[in-house]
Amino acid sequence: MLEIKNLRVSYGQDVVLNGIELELGPGETLAIVGESGTGKTTLGLSIMRLVEGTVRGTIRFKGKDLLALSDSEMQQIRWSQIAMAFQNANNVLNPVYTVLNQIIEPMVEHGLKTKKEARDRAAELLRYFGFPQGRFAAYPHQLSGGEQQRVLLAMAMANNPELLILDEPLSSLDAAARAQVGDLLRETDKQSARLVATHDLDTAGKLAERVVVLYGGKIIEAGLTRDVFYRPRHPYTRALIRAYPNMTTVKDLQGIKGRMARPVSGCPFHPRCTQAIDICRTKTPRLLRHQGRQVACHRGGIITLLSTRNLARFFGSLKAVDSVNLHIESGETLALVGQTGSGKTTLAKTIMGLYQPTEGGVYLEGVKVGNRGKDFYKRVQMVFQNPGESLSHRLSALEAVMEPLDVQGIGTKKERENKAIKVLGEVELPQTNDFLNKYPHHLSGGEMQRLAIARALVLDPALVIADEPTAFLDASIQAKILKLLLNLQEQRGLSMLYITHDIAAARKVSDRIAVMLDGRVIEEGPSNEIIAAPKQDYTKNLLSAASALHSAESSELPRAIESR
Amino acid sequence: MFSKGNLVTYAIAFLFILALNFLLPRMMPGDPLMAIYGDEALITMTPELKAELVERFALDQPLWQQLGAYFVALFQGELGYSYYYNAPVLSVILGHLPWTLLLVGSSLLLSTILGITLGIESGWRRGSRTDRAMLAGLMSLNGFPDFFLGMLLLIAFGVTLGIFPLAGALTPYSGLSGLAWLLDVLRHLFLPLAALTLAHLAGGYLLTRNTMITVLKEPYMLTARAKGLSQRVLKYRHAGRNSMLPVVTRSGIWMGRVITGALFVELVFAYPGVGYLTYEALLARDYPIIQGVFLMVAIFVLAANFLIDLSYPKLDPRVSYAY
Amino acid sequence: MHIDLKREIKESGPGKTGLIILLLMIAVALLAPVLAPYDPYQQSTASLLSPSWSHWLGTNHVGQDVWSRLAFGARTSLLVGFGVGTLATLLGTAFGVSAALVGGLYEKVVMRMVDAFIVIPMIIVVILISAYIRPGILTLIFLLSLLSWQGGARIMRAQALSLKERGHVAAARSFGANRLYLAWRHVVPDLGPILLVEFIYGVRRAVFMEAGLAFLGISDPTVVSWGMMMRDALSFSYLDVWQWWLVPTGVALSLIIIGLTFVGHAAEPVIEPRLRGVGIA
Repeated sequence: MLEIKNLRVSYGQDVVLNGIELELGPGETLAIVGESGTGKTTLGLSIMRLVEGTVRGTIRFKGKDLLALSDSEMQQIRWSQIAMAFQNANNVLNPVYTVLNQIIEPMVEHGLKTKKEARDRAAELLRYFGFPQGRFAAYPHQLSGGEQQRVLLAMAMANNPELLILDEPLSSLDAAARAQVGDLLRETDKQSARLVATHDLDTAGKLAERVVVLYGGKIIEAGLTRDVFYRPRHPYTRALIRAYPNMTTVKDLQGIKGRMARPVSGCPFHPRCTQAIDICRTKTPRLLRHQGRQVACHRGGIITLLSTRNLARFFGSLKAVDSVNLHIESGETLALVGQTGSGKTTLAKTIMGLYQPTEGGVYLEGVKVGNRGKDFYKRVQMVFQNPGESLSHRLSALEAVMEPLDVQGIGTKKERENKAIKVLGEVELPQTNDFLNKYPHHLSGGEMQRLAIARALVLDPALVIADEPTAFLDASIQAKILKLLLNLQEQRGLSMLYITHDIAAARKVSDRIAVMLDGRVIEEGPSNEIIAAPKQDYTKNLLSAASALHSAESSELPRAIESR
Repeated sequence: MFSKGNLVTYAIAFLFILALNFLLPRMMPGDPLMAIYGDEALITMTPELKAELVERFALDQPLWQQLGAYFVALFQGELGYSYYYNAPVLSVILGHLPWTLLLVGSSLLLSTILGITLGIESGWRRGSRTDRAMLAGLMSLNGFPDFFLGMLLLIAFGVTLGIFPLAGALTPYSGLSGLAWLLDVLRHLFLPLAALTLAHLAGGYLLTRNTMITVLKEPYMLTARAKGLSQRVLKYRHAGRNSMLPVVTRSGIWMGRVITGALFVELVFAYPGVGYLTYEALLARDYPIIQGVFLMVAIFVLAANFLIDLSYPKLDPRVSYAY
Repeated sequence: MHIDLKREIKESGPGKTGLIILLLMIAVALLAPVLAPYDPYQQSTASLLSPSWSHWLGTNHVGQDVWSRLAFGARTSLLVGFGVGTLATLLGTAFGVSAALVGGLYEKVVMRMVDAFIVIPMIIVVILISAYIRPGILTLIFLLSLLSWQGGARIMRAQALSLKERGHVAAARSFGANRLYLAWRHVVPDLGPILLVEFIYGVRRAVFMEAGLAFLGISDPTVVSWGMMMRDALSFSYLDVWQWWLVPTGVALSLIIIGLTFVGHAAEPVIEPRLRGVGIA
């Protein structure tokens, strides 16, 4: 029904839409998701040819190219075959006519109904959307935001258009109304093909089967709504979901580093992307089909940074790590949860190369790693449990942080110093001479662990393995360190393997959780699923035994964990 | 907008007018009777009448008592007697009033409608050659005083081309009736009407055009375009309806000036309206007439303003009575 | 408000035209004694003559040279126009700004008075007063100013009110400045552009009024006025004399008013920036 090819819309020098392609069949609903200013409204307006700028490309509606039609032909199509429910703002409705009249108007003007028929239908539509009966003769300024929104929706549907464009249709409504109107829209959604433009992921999920994500004037991901939200493949989509407050995600909110700006060349997201490579700067990626959906990324979407295949490490007959298959994606945090002796630390050390695997292998970006060389350690670093031990008491703070750089022989001494000082700033440690000359035993637990983290970051690794980083710290310091790790992930696009026994903490920082017991990974999946619907009994026990602030009257007391 | 405050304003204006009416003649040097009734009066009045009037208006008493007498007479609806016309002031004025109402009323209607229409068309095409030409043209037209326009029209169409009569509202002693009478009235009305309408056209035009420019930028105009409505509907039903509000309000104020509005034009065409009456009274120093007209103007102005205040909410639903 | 009024007018086509017209008129008025070959009051028996080399615009019904009267008439129009414009603007600003800065009962009373006067049509008041007193030119200026400052006062007050809230005014108050100082140093200078536009329209109104009153026969008979010339010409409209007696006078009057209109229109974006770029230019 609707086919858009290579749509380019610009206002003078400013390119708002840069090569949009999409398809919509009858009865389908497609959501266009993007933050403010990404061009969602412009897209809707260009389909209706109401855009003031320069429009190039093809918009084919029922076989006809809309951009090639004359003004009068377009005028006939508007609101009879294609209609738009505008975003609810001040003065979108004409202040001097009643709302009923404004709904009647397009029906009568297009000759589709007589005045009487139109009035009946208008009343019917308003009633359908829950608009209070007695207020049909009200003027727009007398209505609340929610009422105005309903009027806009009723008005758009007046002539039963075959294509309906909805711009933020639920934004003026409160939560309860949103659910209600959302349902109403869904009930009728087979009657027309629909485009829903919104920044609100929940709206997109409620109303549309398919979704495209807009960024920088381009579509960067497209697919079934269910799939895209469950497992986003583009770094921006993932970041968007992470930034979106909802009842499903358990991880703390994270922003996206940087600000939206239109770079001159290359992928529009590359300044803020955590896995950008050289080509991303120069060449614009095309929207390509990849594993059941479309992603515009030179790297085919979010890449898997590290994976293990049947990794095993035995100590004689003790199978410390047994047949572990894990993967960590770029920019993601995987929490490895298990009790003491489950093999988590062994696994970490095996990955780091401190132990050789007995079986299986470790793969970095798909390539099996043999002996760990400097290059490996440039990409994977570790933060150990006890900073008091992992930091040499012979080295001052500055020297400790500089050590990896010295070992790798990177840059001049001065450059290394500067880099070390800069990283100290990132972990929020003082950069004064006083501090730089301090020795670890002069520092508090929290400061030491920050130092250790700084040391792990100084090589700019892609993956940081954090082994119980807060085990030796007080709760309030723990919170700060966890926050710091989250921030660093946001700023640097780090991936993290977060090892802990505390599933409650894991919940707050991880995208995925793997539960380890006796050397094996018994359960693994997205954090919110593991937390909400654990499949294994052990996991269930872990959850019920986890710290929860109950009141004295609460039902069950936590049970002791059965292990082994 | 209607409010108690506005009532107070009107009351003050009215009081000022009354005060002026009252004080002016009494502040003049010389015989107060002459000041009030004019030179002509004194010639025709008998000594008994003079004495009676002095008594009635307490002219030899202190000012306060005169004020009292003045108000008493006023409330009795007595506006005085004109010795020049030899009739009560009220009836003289009422005799001339219909012509003024006809002239000014129709010119106001015409210039408002035309002005709004031209303003809408001009604002719709803002920046185009048509718009610029109309703007320049109407602003220039605005510069012509109405009496000059009247004179030009009179000379062109009345004297030179002889199409229209040169003076008066009716052909005197014609004894016409029915349709012929109506046509006669219209023939006499045409030139003064044209002069007055042209002179005031620009006001409504400019205001509408300015409002139109603002209105066209509003979001609901985009909504209307999206509805696939025709140009005509967009221009008039949506933009126009919103743009005419200021002019309609202004018209109300102009309505108040009905009596004085046509003063100069009536003079040029010797059209027997209140304006012409005022002029003649001025020449003849017939003070009672002038004062009567003044009072009448005051009442008209205040009443018109009041009516406009009351009806504005009907035109613009966003306005409500605010106390 | 860093809008350059001079630039606004210079950049607008009609603004420039208007300015030129005005300057021309002012030049004629100032140079009248030089430009006029005859004494405008001197009557002669050579009445109702057609234009000739000795009388460029012919003579009127009492043998006065029309062109000389035209030149001197410019003085009257401009004198009354600018006189009333200045005085009315001064009064309007004084009352408007003081009302805004003082507030309270004073403001309420002043604004009520202002509203009351705006409602009353000026012309009938002048007619009434003129029936009793024959106003000389100075009296006329005074009278017209007294009756027309109110419109400007409203606008000035509104502006002053918004300016009052500006940062630099509040800062000055915190130094302990009194209201007069505030008005003079902080508020009035920022009112500049609006003052000028008000002034221009005030002059226009006054020019029109003066001509109208002279046309009615009310104004100073010792002074040459275009309105009076047109009034005299009216009685002779059945003759051909209108071509060189009435028309040039009417056109001259209209030109001044048009000139003022154009300049005022060009300066309007100063008050309403949304209109910029939308006028004739």
